[in-house]
Amino acid sequence: MRLTSFLHSDNFSGWAFILPYLIAFVPLLLWPFIQGFWMSLHEWNLLAVTFNPGAKEFIGLGNYIRLMGGDDIGWSLQPMWPFRLVVSALVVTLYVRSIRRRAVGYSHHIMAGLTLFTTAVLLGLTGDWYDTRFWIVVRNTLVFVAWVVPVTTTIALLLAIALNREGRWAATLRSVFFFSQILSVTVVTLIWQLVYGVRNGFIANVLAPFGIDSPNWLTDDQLAMGAIVAATVWWSVGFALILFLAGLQQIPGERLEAATLDGAEGWRKIVQIIVPSIIRTVQFVMIMQIVLHFQVFGQSQLMTQGGPGDATNVWVRYIYQTAFRDSEVGYASAMATVLFAFMMIFSLIQFWVTKRQES
Amino acid sequence: MRLTNTLTASALALCVTTTGVQAETELELARFFGSCDDAGTDVSAAVGEACIIQTIINAYSADDNGVTIETLPTDWGNYYDQLKAMYAGNSAPDVHVIHKSSIAEFASLGALMPLQEDDLRAAGINPDDWVDRARDAVTYDGQMYAIPMDIHANLWHINLDILAEAGLVNDAGEPILPSSPEELMAHAKQVKDATGKDYLTADFAQFPIGVRMVLAMLWQQDSNVFSGDEATVNTPEAQRAVETIVGLFDAGYADPNLNYNDSQQAFLEGDAAIQINGTWMVDIYDSETRNDDSALASYYVADYPQLFDEAATWADSHTWALPVTLQSEPEKYEAALGFLAWLNDHNVDWARTGHLAVRQSVLDSAEYQNLAHRDEYSNTVNIARDNPPAVRYSAIQDVLNRELQSIWLQGKGIEEALADAEGEINRLL
Amino acid sequence: MNQRALPRWVFIVVTAAAVVWLIPVVWMLSLSLQPNELLSRTTANTFLGLVPVPFTLDNFRAILSIGDTPRWFMNSMLVAGTSTFLVLATSTLAGYAFARIRFTGRSIVYPLVLAGLMVPEQVVFIPLYVMFADWNAHNSLPTLALPRVALPIGVFLMTQFFKDIPDSLEEAARLEGCGHARIFWSIMLPLATPMMMTLAIITFLYSWNDYLWPLVSAQRTDFFTITVGLAKIQGNFAQSQGLGQLMASGVLASLPVIILFLMFQKYILRGIALSTDK
Repeated sequence: MRLTSFLHSDNFSGWAFILPYLIAFVPLLLWPFIQGFWMSLHEWNLLAVTFNPGAKEFIGLGNYIRLMGGDDIGWSLQPMWPFRLVVSALVVTLYVRSIRRRAVGYSHHIMAGLTLFTTAVLLGLTGDWYDTRFWIVVRNTLVFVAWVVPVTTTIALLLAIALNREGRWAATLRSVFFFSQILSVTVVTLIWQLVYGVRNGFIANVLAPFGIDSPNWLTDDQLAMGAIVAATVWWSVGFALILFLAGLQQIPGERLEAATLDGAEGWRKIVQIIVPSIIRTVQFVMIMQIVLHFQVFGQSQLMTQGGPGDATNVWVRYIYQTAFRDSEVGYASAMATVLFAFMMIFSLIQFWVTKRQES
Repeated sequence: MRLTNTLTASALALCVTTTGVQAETELELARFFGSCDDAGTDVSAAVGEACIIQTIINAYSADDNGVTIETLPTDWGNYYDQLKAMYAGNSAPDVHVIHKSSIAEFASLGALMPLQEDDLRAAGINPDDWVDRARDAVTYDGQMYAIPMDIHANLWHINLDILAEAGLVNDAGEPILPSSPEELMAHAKQVKDATGKDYLTADFAQFPIGVRMVLAMLWQQDSNVFSGDEATVNTPEAQRAVETIVGLFDAGYADPNLNYNDSQQAFLEGDAAIQINGTWMVDIYDSETRNDDSALASYYVADYPQLFDEAATWADSHTWALPVTLQSEPEKYEAALGFLAWLNDHNVDWARTGHLAVRQSVLDSAEYQNLAHRDEYSNTVNIARDNPPAVRYSAIQDVLNRELQSIWLQGKGIEEALADAEGEINRLL
Repeated sequence: MNQRALPRWVFIVVTAAAVVWLIPVVWMLSLSLQPNELLSRTTANTFLGLVPVPFTLDNFRAILSIGDTPRWFMNSMLVAGTSTFLVLATSTLAGYAFARIRFTGRSIVYPLVLAGLMVPEQVVFIPLYVMFADWNAHNSLPTLALPRVALPIGVFLMTQFFKDIPDSLEEAARLEGCGHARIFWSIMLPLATPMMMTLAIITFLYSWNDYLWPLVSAQRTDFFTITVGLAKIQGNFAQSQGLGQLMASGVLASLPVIILFLMFQKYILRGIALSTDK
């Protein structure tokens, strides 16, 4: 009797249902991740430890200090002051407005606090950082994400609205825009390296008859990041597009009818009716992309090798180099753990932002 | 044809197994150089690095010596990453290629098997036949860890037609090359004025050819990027070397933005008089001169010219090493040594790629000396140089590559970049 | 679906964008059909190189003559197929439990699983590699397929989906005395079919295109996937056998997923009722 009721209990069913997944999750993701964290607390050389397991040394947070610490750390108003000023002002205004409207929950306090802390305090820090390259790759990764995610989302959303209709034309174009998504990173970078080629690239070929020399897309530090971003947007719009299309189909007909794209009024309708209706899709698409693009690796590794200088070097590529080329898996794991924490924070912020719009 | 080959091969395999004369020892081999999937066993017919090395391997496998070799697939860009992963997973290949510059790192961590001279001699390898440089290349801390296969160095690959148009070819048909930085600029101007073309091209944007040029010019001034565990990058010598190169860019005599492929195209299409690149290009460019469509009609290859006090050019070596784990597998060790001896015997075949042979007896042989263009860069073997062994060699090279790129691609000040590089290399050492 | 006609300018802009979108792929295809000797001189021979004149199939012939290509296709199919099946099975079960069963520990396990979304592949790479090496499990198809099953994206998608199914459906079944297994099998799974289709396609695509793991784990030609096999043929970009062949290898590596896409595009582009919104 007892046993039967246990077998029918929610506790038993719940665990039984998730067990198959946990059998894969625990040993193949959770455990290696914990091991990675354990490594990050050590001075740990990949090869040395292989041949002499005692060759690792526990150094606590040493790797994290080496990664993010510095000498003569101070604080100043000056670095990036226009950016910091604008963002801080924006956050304060928004925060004050929502307090006036009494539409403020604990997540708003946290968000406002986090953003202000970042712009006012963190971005103002100065010092001789121990690992200057780390901050460069962090900045590059942020720039990459800050471009790719909004651009991809916007393009995909607009295309979805335009292509959310019957007929051959829309069907064909949906396929066209999704198509690039199915190619692997090796193929995408192969194509785009050639498109950007200075001497025989497609763009160079187009410009040649006009007597214009092709810009050095991948070796000019002003252009290289933009070139990688463009290739990435081309690659990743498709997936966002189909998610938006699916979302749009869930909007009740009459509401959608009212939101048809027609002329100048269309933009207002997109913002006021369509986007709020599919806000969870927007949220999902953005979180997915943030998580995905923070881990950008192939484009940088295969198209520019992080160059020129470090202009397109990104976080995961730095981790990869440190772990494999330099064999410093302890230090690389520390970088990876910080990246993980970073993505968590970003996703949570994103989550809160859209949650607010949802309510 | 292929089918018959396969049939014959499988028939042979069948015989071996049915007669059961001996069990084959199987060796796993890892290498880069790219793949040559239709490689047969005819070493003398193979062309290019990938096919020459693969036919040498295949020929040894096919030989009746009780050893079969399985070439593990590795791709070039990730070779060392893969190799490290294999070592870390205790699944290291039984024999693998390794650059001279990486031996320090792998050997210092105890990954490579120390090679005893007696064992080598017993297998038919005579280390005394190796030129000093090659022997030094495989020696770390007084112990031999590999056998050398080549010395590969930076050369000046020259389109004689363009230099002739600028009046820079002498009566003997040899190019007139600069002997000082000032002359370099003058020659470059001469070429630009006479032909409108760039004086030289190289990959300054990605692959570290630019670093190797700066290194050569440092050594030519009896300087180096580090000595012992102290970085010496920010020196007047280094500034002079960098300024020499940047001078070419500023005057429009060379383009720092071209990557490896673009620079190769520029040279092949006759847009630049000289390409600076390694020995591995010699047979490729030589074959281009017989291609009617190619703009490269008269090709010459020269030793890296001496611009300062002494002659020097960047060089490295491809060598072959065994993992330390073979110590507990005498049968495989024996087989691997046999293969190393086979490689050593085929030194002249490998040299067809353009690389310099490592055996004195090969260097002296008529077969070697009759290889195309060989006499044009015969002095390279004497002026080849490299950094002292360093455990963090590849990281150091990466620092230099980044900082130099930031000078000519991003407009960073020379002194600032060199100071930054020095700081970073000091941390690495 | 929207019935109203589009403004003309939107029609023109979107069509033009689609043409631009296709150019890189068309160009790759066209280059793969042109002779290498030509490409070493110009990549813009006929109409910017977008039309393969002169035409040749030599590049494809050269690659297909490499005996292992069919085997690599097969490996990729098996690996991607296995991981897709396992992902579907595990994540529908787990998704249902996370969304609709109140069990002790759910509020701890689910966030933990979601956090797994943010673990970069390169982070767990080394421990994972060493672990499989300790088990002597490299160079096998299961090893190539399994790590993907642990990725939580499927669980996340399915949980989102099951959360949005109205309670009324389930309550009716409950009153009939059905247990979770019954509800899952008879009610939830049929409802989830379109969603599972989407998940299957995504998983298959990503698994097919996986690069780093098979590159390091499969050290023997017999266990190559097509992506790795052809990447090896591409070899060093600088010293490759020629542009045409390089492009042909890119086309070939993409071909099966292109065919798959064309076959299932209805499901991919229209049929998915990804219910992330009510």
